[in-house]
Amino acid sequence: MTTAVIDNTNDNPRARSPLVLGDTSLTRVTDLVCSVYERPATRGWYIAFGISASLTLLLFAMIGYLFARGIGVWGLNHPVGWAFDITNFVFWVGIGHAGTLISAILFLFRQKWRTSINRSAEAMTIFAVACAGIFPLIHIGRPWLAYWLFPYPNQMAMWPGFRSPLLWDVFAVSTYATVSLLFWYMGMVPDLATMRDRATTRPRQIAYGLLSLGWRGSNRHWLRFEKAYLLLAALATPLVLSVHSVVSFDFAVSVLPGWHTTIFPPYFVAGAIFSGFAMVLTLLIPVRQIFGLKDLITPKHLDNMTRIILATSLMVGYSYAIEFFIAWYSGNSFELFAFLNRSLGPYWWAYWIMVTCNVIVPQVFWFKFFRSNTTAIFITSLLVNVGMWFERFVIIVTSLHRDYLPSSWGMFKPTAVDLLTMLGSFGLFFTLFLLFIRFLPFVAMAEVKSVMPHVLHEAGPTALGDYWGDAPRDHRAPDKGAH
Amino acid sequence: MSSIEPTVKDGQPARPKTYWRSLDELAETAEFRAVVEREFPTLVPEILGPTGRRSFMKLMGASVALAGLTACRWPKERILPFAHRPEGRIPGVPEFYASAMELGGVASALLVKSVDGRPIKVEGNPEHPESRGVAGVFAQASVLELYDPDRSHSPVERTGGQEFQRTWDEFAAFAERHFGALRASGGRGLAVLAEPSSSVSFGWTKARFAEVFPQAAWFEYAPVGRDAERAGTALAFGTPMRPVAALAAADVVVSFESDLLQMHPAALAHAREFASRRRADDGTMTRLWVLESSPSVTGASADERIALPSGEIAATAQRLLAGLLLRPGVEPAWMTPALRSALAGLGGEGALDARIETLREDLQAHRGRCYLAAGPSQPPVVHALVALANVALGNAGATVRYLPDPDGPPPAAGGSVAALARALEAGQVQTLIVLGGNPAYDAPAELDLAARLGRAGTLIHLSHDRNETSALAAWHLPRAHWLETWGDARCWSGTVSVAQPLIQPLFDGRSPIELLALAAGLPQLKGYDLVRQAILPLVGGEKGWRQALHDGVVAGSAPAAADPAAAASAAAAAAAAAGWAGSPRAPKPSAQALELVFLPDRKVFDGRFANNAWLQEFPDPITKLTWDNALLVAPRTADALGVAYGDVVTLSCDGRTIQAPIYILPGQAENSVALALGYGRRRAGRVGDKVGANAYALRTAAAPWVAGSATVQRTSLRRKLATTQDHWGMDKLGERTLQHRVPEFIKEATLARYQADPEFARKGEPKLIQLWDPHKYEGNQWGMAIDLSACTGCGACMVACQAENNIPVVGREQVLVSRDMHWIRVDRYFKGDPNDPEFAFQPVACVHCENAPCEQVCPVQATVHDHEGINEMVYNRCVGTRYCANNCPYKVRRFNFFNWHKGIGELGPLARMAMNPEVTVRSRGVMEKCTYCVQRINAVKIPAKNDARPIRDGEIVTACEQACPSQAIVFGNVADVESRVAKLQKSGRAYSLLAEINVRPRTQYLARLKNPVHGAEAPAGGAHGASEEHHES
Repeated sequence: MTTAVIDNTNDNPRARSPLVLGDTSLTRVTDLVCSVYERPATRGWYIAFGISASLTLLLFAMIGYLFARGIGVWGLNHPVGWAFDITNFVFWVGIGHAGTLISAILFLFRQKWRTSINRSAEAMTIFAVACAGIFPLIHIGRPWLAYWLFPYPNQMAMWPGFRSPLLWDVFAVSTYATVSLLFWYMGMVPDLATMRDRATTRPRQIAYGLLSLGWRGSNRHWLRFEKAYLLLAALATPLVLSVHSVVSFDFAVSVLPGWHTTIFPPYFVAGAIFSGFAMVLTLLIPVRQIFGLKDLITPKHLDNMTRIILATSLMVGYSYAIEFFIAWYSGNSFELFAFLNRSLGPYWWAYWIMVTCNVIVPQVFWFKFFRSNTTAIFITSLLVNVGMWFERFVIIVTSLHRDYLPSSWGMFKPTAVDLLTMLGSFGLFFTLFLLFIRFLPFVAMAEVKSVMPHVLHEAGPTALGDYWGDAPRDHRAPDKGAH
Repeated sequence: MSSIEPTVKDGQPARPKTYWRSLDELAETAEFRAVVEREFPTLVPEILGPTGRRSFMKLMGASVALAGLTACRWPKERILPFAHRPEGRIPGVPEFYASAMELGGVASALLVKSVDGRPIKVEGNPEHPESRGVAGVFAQASVLELYDPDRSHSPVERTGGQEFQRTWDEFAAFAERHFGALRASGGRGLAVLAEPSSSVSFGWTKARFAEVFPQAAWFEYAPVGRDAERAGTALAFGTPMRPVAALAAADVVVSFESDLLQMHPAALAHAREFASRRRADDGTMTRLWVLESSPSVTGASADERIALPSGEIAATAQRLLAGLLLRPGVEPAWMTPALRSALAGLGGEGALDARIETLREDLQAHRGRCYLAAGPSQPPVVHALVALANVALGNAGATVRYLPDPDGPPPAAGGSVAALARALEAGQVQTLIVLGGNPAYDAPAELDLAARLGRAGTLIHLSHDRNETSALAAWHLPRAHWLETWGDARCWSGTVSVAQPLIQPLFDGRSPIELLALAAGLPQLKGYDLVRQAILPLVGGEKGWRQALHDGVVAGSAPAAADPAAAASAAAAAAAAAGWAGSPRAPKPSAQALELVFLPDRKVFDGRFANNAWLQEFPDPITKLTWDNALLVAPRTADALGVAYGDVVTLSCDGRTIQAPIYILPGQAENSVALALGYGRRRAGRVGDKVGANAYALRTAAAPWVAGSATVQRTSLRRKLATTQDHWGMDKLGERTLQHRVPEFIKEATLARYQADPEFARKGEPKLIQLWDPHKYEGNQWGMAIDLSACTGCGACMVACQAENNIPVVGREQVLVSRDMHWIRVDRYFKGDPNDPEFAFQPVACVHCENAPCEQVCPVQATVHDHEGINEMVYNRCVGTRYCANNCPYKVRRFNFFNWHKGIGELGPLARMAMNPEVTVRSRGVMEKCTYCVQRINAVKIPAKNDARPIRDGEIVTACEQACPSQAIVFGNVADVESRVAKLQKSGRAYSLLAEINVRPRTQYLARLKNPVHGAEAPAGGAHGASEEHHES
């Protein structure tokens, strides 16, 4: 499996850059991907899993403590009613967006390079939404009554408050989680069938056999699959925009200076994609290194993602700037103070961490050197994650801690429980991700095969489907329209 | 009549039970004993440790736990089982009894609300000429003391270094032996140390006691008294007089460090009358001048406030008043050459600085319509000059009446406690009865009474709780709470009020008169008999007695005012002959030799309320400090001393030192530092132990209020101060913004500007449009108006709300993280120059917005609008997202971060019974806030509906409104154009707080008016920070 590393990041006007490097036989793709879970787990995996599983336990211990004692175990207080809880919620929901964007929007936009990363990005989405979903449930004062947020017929004849953005959140996030899960699972079925076919032990055969839903790869199967995939992609696409818009309504609909801002929906969506891509990079760079997937997740993929990060960083930076401008331009002194206080008040450090990580650092991606240097990309992606966490913290805490009446101004200080709960949510995320690596197809094999050069050369009806709709013109007969 | 409950008998059912409170108690069942043990753990270390602060809150639950000790102490001491309901008594329907509480020898006339035999709320007696239905902070909070689990619950005998729990019968046996022998000797070697009392029955019993023990010595001591005033008026009039002010008649009020509106015994009456002249309804206003060293509530309300060290105030007052008395036109007819030369000797002929000169002119221009007052910290000569000036200016009889002081002439310096110390030292005291009080803690430091009390052969101490003094006593006896005893006392203006018990003593306590009667072997041993005996001559028979009990007032019992002019003229010669020496001019204080002023605390008074959690958590009106005292230092002085907010310093004075944290207080006089008394107690109980610094350790008999030459040394320690509002030490940006916003929130104008532009408060209010149809109402629509011109910031509303609405106490740690639960808070802002700021107060509770931002964001509809305009909080439905609180622009919503009431649940069903049964006790995880006292609305609405009549204006009174001594809060139906609230909301001064965000609050504020000297023109100096208003008119 020696592969000469080829730089496929050049935009050659005469030939498309290959999306899979090295030996481009179909078998090799299958072998490469399946080796990730077929090889015995390494000690490194066990260590990583041990740590993240412990952190997951810690998360549940913290939640248990929280439920036993009350919200007071967090650092919340009277001006600051939300802090780490909702910060973590928005952070994790935001992370999820990259997955949906890659798998659905890029699919509709026929970005073939997505095939190598969409599976893991979607998995990340699911896990991030799982982490995110915990926080709204545990942040309420009486979590045992959380089900009151759902509209269900009940003997109290009470409906939830449909005017409340928190309720919209419930719908937005639960819809998003459902569609993402369906999309992810459905896209995985052909690969699960491959795993079933390659499985050597009985439990695996049974498990993957059940999961692959009797997939045989017949043309009819492919026909149905492709249609369903397209439909789900179309369904998921608006969710990319809607979920974070709705999340931003939690703030934008309020009367609080610093929250009450019409720019929030696009600003939040851009930020979500920004943070999501950073998280994809954070996850993929080590994985491709450790599991030898560099031929599948090539420098081209990394390069493309850094460009998206750069673009969304500029959008986010623009939002930061325009917020300030509007605060000044509106002539609303409360608004202006909210933003001055953000940048110069007691939480100035959080604001400047945010600006540095989200606006300044990603500018390195203007330079090819940084776009092709995996270490630089990795470090930047980590910083963007940090920056985006702080963005939510800044929005939530600095707006709350000093609102209208100075008599009720206060400060928020996180407690150990706050910090450990946040750490624990990362533990849960990584635990799920590590399990995913071990037990499910990390790369969408079937999809990758469809974009490999020689598959495209062969171009027969046996090609693993043209469910891309569009095939590269230089390899296909001009009669493509017949499809 | 549900009930159990205990007096702890240390296991031994030694005496036959006369009464029992439950069958369980009678049977001494295991369950009952378990309940008792759980409630009164003998070992409390686990709750005293730092980790146990939370558990302490549970114990505050226990404070109320004891409410279950229901008994019915009916006018006559008969215990009736409720097998048959007494006539006229409906379970669950509250009943009100007139009573009185004595503090520092002055009564507050009160009305106590009792539900099913349990007193749960203290309100003012509306029949009383002084209180007129309002009660002060201390009286309101004292109901919690009744249910304090740390109260002493049985007599304790201490012999051979060991303590034994005894019964009163055992004490009676001891007393018979001990006092029987003393009776034979006429009481030689017997001494009594009592707190000053104006009680008729106390005086009567004391006289009987003196007849039995003619040789006995009687001493009196109270750490917070008005000795200087008694001495000063004696100097002026020959006999001690008590000034009873009529502030409503005064156009100019001058206070020389007298906290007329808060700590003065007649503060409630002062506040009401003062406020009546602050609304400018008739186009006039009082002007209040305050000279003080440390900002007080009075100073904060002043139109002209001059911050000076206390010693400088005395010097200034002497020069000003002596000069004034000598001025042609003021100089009284009774002036004698001797007095003239004495006044000249006091600096009466010297020049005054510009502002004081203005004050003098102001006084002279308002002869007969001004009032001067001096505070306890001022030397007698200032009080004398104040009294003479009031007479000379023609105020006596107009704005002030001088009554013969019922307390009589003051004892020599240090009170007679110094004499007691000498007697103890000389071994003249074999038996000492200490009636209440806590001299081992609060006596002057140099007397070292804690050590000397040990020299009394037999020390008998009657006290609510086992305090520092009880620890030394051979016999500690539990004292009954005022809600448990018969008694009486005189209010400031001399009217006698009878105190009747509302409940049988929970812990078998007795009152001081009962103890005296027991010691003297009087035939009447019961408080009821003693009080009745003493009062009967005043009321003229049984009918009068019943009337007095019902009204809480003994009509016509106030002494007549003396003719002060005659008294003054008679006194003047004598005074001059005695040669008035001005108080020795204290050297000007400096950062190296600071002036240290002791303040009676606005929360725990002299320390007696230290174990009262409501008061510990009540934010000081000025500093907003809870659970602590701190050394108040002016900003410039702090710079000079190199100390910062929260630094712990060593404060030395006369070779004595204590440690205290620094609180930098704008408006504090330079080089004068102040420390509140009443903290640093070691044996107050679970709540009050080790809270703050003990100022008594520095206080001497010679300098009880103002000590010179104090020094401050920084230590490496720091202490976080649990303030509910934190402005000092804020970053520049925040401070600037605050200064910018406060005038928008607290609209203020001078009288002149208001007259020129009566609608000024509404100026600049944006035109607001409604995007959707407003709520539709039929019938009542509740609303409130809060007059900031009347509000003094005293905080009585906060305590009233706490008691009425079962608001939990959260403790210092939780206040530090901003989790205090008060539904109504009084915002305090400093304006302008921190060295000479103006103060502004604003009570803020839920304003019940029409476009309530909280209602819209609640995902479960737990906060909704009702059909009468109230923004309601449905606790049962609340899941606690806190979104409503985040979206509340006024930040008035309070979240239960923990189960603050957990302790009550743990203590069993009885524990809940001390709470106001009409208000839900909120669980953990639930949001709560002001409901406009919806329970009080319904309590009026339902009977009105039954009677098919409309609700009268003023019939519904919210707890805050009821408690407000200055009647700044008015609640009512805004739909009724004739209602007071509707009229106030239509007045020119009315405005909505944060009107521009269009939430349309139902509570509106009335702009504050001020009446500075230079109201119409630009101010003379930099004294007025916000000066635009002055310019504009």
